[in-house]
Formats: sequence, C-alpha cells, structure tokens
Amino acid sequence: MQSSIRAQGSSSIWDGIYTEAQAVRGEEEYAARCASCHSVDLRGNSNSPSLLGLSFMFIWEGRTLGELFGKVSTEMPTDQPGSLSLQSYAAILAFILKKNEFPAGSSELSTNDAVLNQILITSEGAAN
Amino acid sequence: MLIKFPHCLAIALLMSCSWSYGQIAEFDPVTDEMLGDPPPGEWLSWRGEQNSWGYSPLEQINTGNVNQLQLVWSWAMDDTGAGQAAPLIHNGVMFLPGPRGVIQALDAANGDLIWEYRPGITASIDGTERAISREALGAAAMPATAYAGVGRGVQKNIAIYGEMIYAATENASIVGIDARSGLLVWETRTADPALGYYYTAGPIIANGVLVTGITGCERYKDDLCFITGHNPQSGEELWRFATVAAPGTPEGDSWGDLPLQFRAGADSWQAGSYDPQKNLVYYGTAQAKPWARAVRGTDGDALYTNSTLALNPNTGELAWYYQHLPGETHDMDEVFETLLIDVGGRESIFKMGKLAILWQLDRQTGELIRATDIGYQTIVNVNPTSGNITYRDGMIPRIGQQIDMCPSTSGFKSWRAMAYSPQTSAVYVPITLNCELATFGPTERVLGGGGTGPVRRINYPHPQSDGNLGELLALDIPSGEVKWRYRQRAPINTAALTTAGGLVIVGDWNRYMYAFDAESGEKLWQTRVTTSAQGFPMTYMIDGKQYLALPVGVGGASWSSMLPRDLAPELTRPLNGNSIHVFALPD
Repeated sequence: MQSSIRAQGSSSIWDGIYTEAQAVRGEEEYAARCASCHSVDLRGNSNSPSLLGLSFMFIWEGRTLGELFGKVSTEMPTDQPGSLSLQSYAAILAFILKKNEFPAGSSELSTNDAVLNQILITSEGAAN
Repeated sequence: MLIKFPHCLAIALLMSCSWSYGQIAEFDPVTDEMLGDPPPGEWLSWRGEQNSWGYSPLEQINTGNVNQLQLVWSWAMDDTGAGQAAPLIHNGVMFLPGPRGVIQALDAANGDLIWEYRPGITASIDGTERAISREALGAAAMPATAYAGVGRGVQKNIAIYGEMIYAATENASIVGIDARSGLLVWETRTADPALGYYYTAGPIIANGVLVTGITGCERYKDDLCFITGHNPQSGEELWRFATVAAPGTPEGDSWGDLPLQFRAGADSWQAGSYDPQKNLVYYGTAQAKPWARAVRGTDGDALYTNSTLALNPNTGELAWYYQHLPGETHDMDEVFETLLIDVGGRESIFKMGKLAILWQLDRQTGELIRATDIGYQTIVNVNPTSGNITYRDGMIPRIGQQIDMCPSTSGFKSWRAMAYSPQTSAVYVPITLNCELATFGPTERVLGGGGTGPVRRINYPHPQSDGNLGELLALDIPSGEVKWRYRQRAPINTAALTTAGGLVIVGDWNRYMYAFDAESGEKLWQTRVTTSAQGFPMTYMIDGKQYLALPVGVGGASWSSMLPRDLAPELTRPLNGNSIHVFALPD
C-alpha cells in the first residue's frame, strides 16, 4: 500500500487510503448523521447533493481529500456543523470512498490535514 | 376545559397507558363549515383559513399596544431535526407538529401537555397494530436515531377535521390520529420511500377529502410524482393525480421523447389552498429534475412542473393548470403557497416563486391576469400581461459551464409563506437576497439515479442588497408595486403573519422576532429567542385573551445553513432549540 507521506498530488484515493473496518464504522455514523439528507444510498435528495459517481466526481475531481475533509468536518451536518469527532468524520469519509468503489487498504484514513492535503481525488484509476 | 387522566382508564381495551398523558374532554368536531368560516380565535388551517392568507381577524394585540407583549409560556420541542412548525388551534388546544412526525397537544393558554403522538411508539386507538413498522419498511425507513436536518423528517403542517388530526410522514405515509387522545387511528402508505419519496408538507381538507402532495420525486423510477385524495375516516385512497405528464397523455409530449422512468420532479412540498365555492384545490408543483435541461435531457416544457394546478378534491380531476416557468432550468421552484384573493370582483390567485415574480391568475380559468417581476432576478424576461417567459441571453445552463445568476438555487422566496392583509391590500413576503456563480453537472441516467444533478456553487451577495440578506417586502395587491421594504443583515426566516390589529409578524435567522406596522413598515416590537425564528407564526384567542405563537427552529436547507454561513459568517445560532414561544398583553 502507498504511504500517505508523499509529495503533494502524488497520492490518490486509489491508493488504499482507508480500512474496511473504518468504513464499517463510518456506515453507522453516516446512517445516524447524514442519511436524512443524503439518503441511505448516498444519492441525496432535493436539498442535498448525491455523494456517488458522476455527481460526486463533478464536484470533487482534481481537489484533495484535505479539502473534502475540511468541508465535511466544518460544515456538516448543515444544522449541527462540526458536532462530530474528527475520527467520526474520517470514518464517514471512508464509507463514502468505499461506496464509490475506491479501494480499502491497510491503514486508516488520517484526520491530519497535512496528510489529507496530499491525497488527490481523481477518476484516473489507480494513479501511481 | 381539559381533563387529564391515563388512557388505561379512558379506553378500557387499551393495552398500554404510558404514552399519552390525558385527553381533551371537550372537543367539538371540526366541520367543513368551520374550516370555511373559522371562529375568529381559532386557527384551523395551516395558514389560518383555506384561502392561505396567513391573516387573523383578531385585533386585541395591535399597533398601539404590541410593544407591551410579554412571554406567557414557551415549550421546547424535539431536537431530532429541523423545526418548521405550523401549529393549529381548536377548543383552546394547540396541535403542534415537530420533527420526525411528533405531534403534541398543548393547553394553548398555559402550555401544559395534554397528549403527544410519537410515530412507532404511540399505541393505536384499539390496541391493534395500525402503524407501518420499521421492519416492514426495511432499509427504506429513516434510521430511528437519525437527525433530520433537511428534507426527510421535516414536518411543516398538519390538518384537523372531524375528531381527527392528520399528518404526512417522513416514510411516505399519511396518518389519522384521534384528536382527543393522540392515539393512532390509521396509517396509509402512499409510495415506497426506498424510491426517494417522503412528505414534508401535511394534508389539507377540501370538501371532506384529505388532499396531500408528496415530495422526494427526484429519482429515476417506474413511477411518477403525485397528489392524492384520501378518505379521512378510513385512510382509503380515493384518487391520485400524477403531477408529471406520462408519455401518451395529452401533455406527455412536453417531455420530448424521455421515457416515463426519466421524468422526475414536480413535487408538491408546500400545502395548497381550497375554494369551497368552486370546489377546487390549488396546489403548486416544483421544478423538473434534474434541474438543468441539459442534464435531464429535454428542453421541453415538462408538464406539470412549476405549475399551479386546480383539482377537484372529490375526483382528482384537473380543472386547469398554469405553468409559470416552462422548461425551467435553474432550480427555480414555483411550488409555494397559493393565496386566494378577490380583487375588484376578480376571483384571483396570487403566488410567488424563487424568482420573486408575483403572479396573479384567474381562479376559475387559470388565465394569467398579471405577472410582476420585482426586479431582483437576472435569469428570465417575463411579459407582464401574457406571463410568457423567455430566458435571457446565455442564461440557459450548459453542463460544466459557469453562469452568473440571481437568485442562487436557494431562491429569493422559499417556503417562508407570504401573508395578505385585507386592511392594507398588500402581501408581505419574506425574501432572502442572494446570487450565485453556478456550474451544473451531469447525473447517471439509470433507475435509482437522477436526482437534482450536482452544482458547483459559489454564493455571493445580491448587488442591490448593500450586504443585507434579509428582506420583508410589502407589495400592493393587485398592482405588485412595492409598498415598503425592510432590510437587514440576517435572513427573514419565518412565514409572515398579518392581523387585523394592523400588524405583520416575522422572525429572523438571528433569533429576533418582529412586529411591524403593516401600513408603514415601522418596526414596533422585537424580542429574542432560543435559536433561529423558523416556522409559521400564528395567533389565537382563549377566554377573551389574544395570544401570539412564534415557532423557533434549527436545521433547514441552504436558505438557513449555507447562505448565512457563506454570506453573513459573523452571525451564529445555537445548534439546538426547536421550540414555540407564546406572547400576550399584560392582564
């Protein structure tokens, strides 16, 4: 698996940057704190964007996981922003990555900005 | 008036006596006549009367004494989701809808709880299983512990009729509740929540029929969005009107060659109005989904999206429709409340959508009488006499290409209903001033997919706003001319209430409640509450004393979260605090 300590942009969400166990934890947190707006299946509703596939990548393609983590952890849930622990936000993000079929790996998704800022969100599969 | 005792004594057959606290001893069944001409001190429809004016004939609290208002009681509501309550008043009891389907009956003079209905917990009236269980809903059910911030789990209005209270649920069912005890009488599922369906607007009563519009229609599915009529006694579905025209129907060509599965939207997420003389209900519909033409794959009109519909409440037959924004392509809802106002003998409807265009329609024929663009929007040109819409140059979005538009996808107008005062012949409209750099993106055209489509969104202040987000706009009826404007930094965040005391009442996101002189716009009273003012203010009278009830709430969509966060970041509000606050003059 890729180490997360790499030069900016040289790591991507294809590099196994979260664990299965983390995504399973994230699924529970997601159901309780995110699903009423983004739906159980992540496809959103009229007020909240889809977190899957084309729609997700349209917003996030070319940006870093640090940017996404920053938005989620400071703005979500919209009515109680910042009310979850950083570990919970990371687990939820792991769950979203899993549902988008980005591969799991052996180390958990970090909550460290410096690390997350080096992970690129890209549809270019398994970027090196 | 109110006698409290456990249900196990009241209803001998009931297995449990723990959930409700008492019952309303003196309850007069609510008749069609009462709904059509309510006692002045009552509030029997979500906007006061079936005409949706949001107006009370009470005048004890008035421009001369409103500054003496005092808090009489307040009540904390569940903090399980967004608060947008539209309470009702009958026989001195307040029926208060909260998040996630909870309804509470309170003594409206002092705030004592009489009963509460909790979905899945409150027993049914005969002890048999009447509720749709979470097991039956499976994965489609909202998680029991979920926090319902936006969309599913929001409960705006409820209805009262006969000896029952009616509500529509987060899991796409309609419930009938015994008004005396709060016990469940029936629950009828109207659609599969796994397909995205849910309710946020409750039913209205029209000629003995329960009429309800659904939302959550943005997914691709083998099904179409709808409004239904139900038998209030039994919960039986009497009719269903598809708000999307199917292929092969007279209006079906308006979606081009899109198959039925990919015709989404036309939700009815704000309750309608009823004209008993014409026996017609009037409902607004939302925009087509996905929002942008280029994303949904047709530049057709997409009937009956963004329309006003006139339906016979007994049959569901369409009397007429008027489509305000054919082929709408920026998420500009026209779904909001329909005010039934007669002007110079002309029986009219007045309504306004996100673009802040005031529409006057003939209530009998649906013919457009006048369209008044308030002048804030930059997307369309509207012909004031024909109502015809044309998009301005470059304003029809292409996928991936940024456009600059006012308003943002949040709109100028929202569910915060406007109110009409016959004293001033004016409507009072809560407005949020804002604009957006918007880039619309694609969705997968597969069953279960669709949705609104993604938008890369950058909010910015409206050029005419001087940095103010909030506006209360007083418009002359029927001319649409601006009578006065009140502007401030924080968004006006409630529906408006008008009274015969010469007042217009609203509250804001920054926790203030205000009373204005409806004629002059002068601010006469303010107070500050737990969190954002949010919901539908109303007023009532008990034993000769007038009360003013102001709902407060957290949560809410972009108009109450993203916009204040982005455009007024110095303002903050508590993350909890759903509640209702009731004021009156000193004794």
